[in-house]
Amino acid sequence: MAERSLITQMIVGLLYPFMLLLGFYLILNGHYTPGGGFQGGSTFAMLFVARYVVFPVADMSSEHLHLLQRLFLALILVVPILVLFSGFLAGASEYSGMYLTLMDLFIGVQVGFGLGVAVFRFAFFKGIGPSWRF
Amino acid sequence: MIRMASAALFVLVVFVGVTVLTTRYQEKLEPTMYEYMVENFQRDTAAHNAVAAILLNYRMYDTMFEALILLTAIIGMKQFLPSAGEFTGGKSGRGADTTDWSGDSPKQG
Repeated sequence: MAERSLITQMIVGLLYPFMLLLGFYLILNGHYTPGGGFQGGSTFAMLFVARYVVFPVADMSSEHLHLLQRLFLALILVVPILVLFSGFLAGASEYSGMYLTLMDLFIGVQVGFGLGVAVFRFAFFKGIGPSWRF
Repeated sequence: MIRMASAALFVLVVFVGVTVLTTRYQEKLEPTMYEYMVENFQRDTAAHNAVAAILLNYRMYDTMFEALILLTAIIGMKQFLPSAGEFTGGKSGRGADTTDWSGDSPKQG
């Protein structure tokens, strides 16, 4: 990371909101078109990669990202147990679309934060030190 | 050398044998589940996409444990791939001052 090109910075800055838009499009249209939580979440993780490309500074803690990922994972586990497995959704079918969108959103945010932790760990990894041996 | 060759031959024979046996004596099932899901997924789950219906309603357990697998992978990665600041001892890994971006490749050894 010797030099940081101005062209790269400008292009990534221009594309950044479109990446966010693509992620939300994939998630929110997951039950209409191909797409869904995992694909949209991977697009969200692309935001971390783009940020690292133009601004490679470890000013964001991967612990916070991991905490958020675990929070959304808990929601993914709790919401179907309360709504789907309890049989509530079979009686109230007008909430089915809302449930699908909500679950896609939870999965997408969870996958985005999870892959974000992976990106940060690999990006700021230095294979030196006494505790790292294969 | 003989031992390695015989071991490779044994693995190959077992692989071919299992593959041949399982493809010759395959049980043919009626596609009842397939037919039910294709006919009824729109009414059951209000999804316009059979894949979303299966992932988020019919097979919700699969999606839940898939999310757990991602968590497991990240926990393992955090365990075996310490971040830059954790080597130096005491100093936390946050902040730009602990990372050195002057060189491209990390020092070896």
